[in-house]
Amino acid sequence: MTDREREELVMYLERDQLVSDTGRPVSPAQLSRRVKVGLWALRVFALVVSAMVIYTFIAQL
Amino acid sequence: MTPGGPTPIPEPAFEGAIADGQGTTLPAGLTHEDLIRSRDRFRVHNARQSRRRWYLLWLLVGPGILAMLGENDGPSMISYATSGATYGLGFFLPFIVVTFGMAIVCQEMCMRVGAVTHRGYGQLVLERFGKLWGWFAAGDLVVTNLVTLIAEFVAIRVGLAYFHLGAGVAAVLGVVLVLFTLSGGRYWRWERIVLGLATFNGLFLVAAIMVRPDWGSVGHAVVAFSPLPGGSFNTLLLLIASTIGATVTPWMIFFQQSASADKGMTPDDLRHGRYDTVAGGVLAAVFGCGALIAGAALATHGGANIQGLAGAGFPAALAAVSGKAVGTVFALGLIEAGAVAVLTISASTGYAAGECVGAPHSLNSSARGAALFYGANIGAATIAAAIILIPGAPLLSIALNANVLATVLLPVALVFMIMLANDRELMGRWVNGATLNRVAIGIVAFISVCGAAYAVDSFLQATHVL
Repeated sequence: MTDREREELVMYLERDQLVSDTGRPVSPAQLSRRVKVGLWALRVFALVVSAMVIYTFIAQL
Repeated sequence: MTPGGPTPIPEPAFEGAIADGQGTTLPAGLTHEDLIRSRDRFRVHNARQSRRRWYLLWLLVGPGILAMLGENDGPSMISYATSGATYGLGFFLPFIVVTFGMAIVCQEMCMRVGAVTHRGYGQLVLERFGKLWGWFAAGDLVVTNLVTLIAEFVAIRVGLAYFHLGAGVAAVLGVVLVLFTLSGGRYWRWERIVLGLATFNGLFLVAAIMVRPDWGSVGHAVVAFSPLPGGSFNTLLLLIASTIGATVTPWMIFFQQSASADKGMTPDDLRHGRYDTVAGGVLAAVFGCGALIAGAALATHGGANIQGLAGAGFPAALAAVSGKAVGTVFALGLIEAGAVAVLTISASTGYAAGECVGAPHSLNSSARGAALFYGANIGAATIAAAIILIPGAPLLSIALNANVLATVLLPVALVFMIMLANDRELMGRWVNGATLNRVAIGIVAFISVCGAAYAVDSFLQATHVL
């Protein structure tokens, strides 16, 4: 298979769709302190509420 | 082809190259997965060039319909039918429509982020917000997926029990289906098989028609949100939280974004991705309402005590009240709902595992090339199948609580999704608009309040404070 034929085979993909490109990490986001606090508050909320649901489920068995 | 329209482009020699790709002849930087995805994209490109609109739509639908009909799963249908059996037609019928409206808003963001970034949700959260949040997201997903998968096998078991088949058959059927759909090593093949199975979700609509409801009451309930449900406040909260968990869940977010990327969708396909998502939402809402209407046939026959009908449960109860044919259709529907969800939820587990570890994670990869992806996919289904073989499991309780757990863990996943969809560095001009952000934040707040209300009320009751 020639280089041209190989190129033709992947020409229907966008360049950033190739596995070699999607495997390259994107840069980390810069989160403000307020956003970080908000995310932690949401995480604690989700864990507490999940624990309540799991406890109730077990208690009802 | 449109008569007189442009001629399709001849297909390059994909088959030969893909066969070569199993060996070592691919040039550096190219993978077998790239070639398969490129072939799928060639078809899309060709359909677009030759203006074959319906063929283009056929090629691009999939992730949205699968996410939505996958979420019309066993626990969801049992939850809808329980709402119908407990309260009859009324508040919950339009509430299902509203929750699918919420699902469409959330899933459109997933599709858009997947198509623009070509990356899955787990990978983006991990890379953009750090390992801690990425692993938290994956942890949430693993917990809810495992519980939900158990509930899916329970639904298959309930459906099969109607035909006097045991839990062993349900477990084997589910795992064999997962193995069969994964065996092709192609995303397209997997998607089309699961879409074919998902069409049988329409059985719930058939069941609804067969119970001969009063269509005037159905229409009134949809428009007027009434009659409002009475009875126990806690049961009402459980069913509200459960209904929300039956329409928007963490696995859907992981699945639709990863599947959109795996399918090879690009920003050019966003319009069709939206059609796909809306079509999925509408179909799922109609079929979900079908389950509720069928369940409502039991409302005047001690429906609230349906849990007492152990084993065959709903199908047997429906058979007794509305005739054997209705029971059979509902039982087949439960088997389909459980089976499709086993396939999509296992796939989302595989995507999440591969994305978080940074290992290959595509249905276009071979099992050898993406061992972790395939292993997590099959492993999750196998563990859930093994658990339902434990005798004496509280079937209905597992099914309803799986949805509630998904509801309480959902706000975190949705907040990250909104952040990703607003990330201009990743999304460029395809970021959320202001109105969409307001609606999305409103949805997160509503889901958080409903989940927390049920959790706190039940916890206080369980600890005898109330």
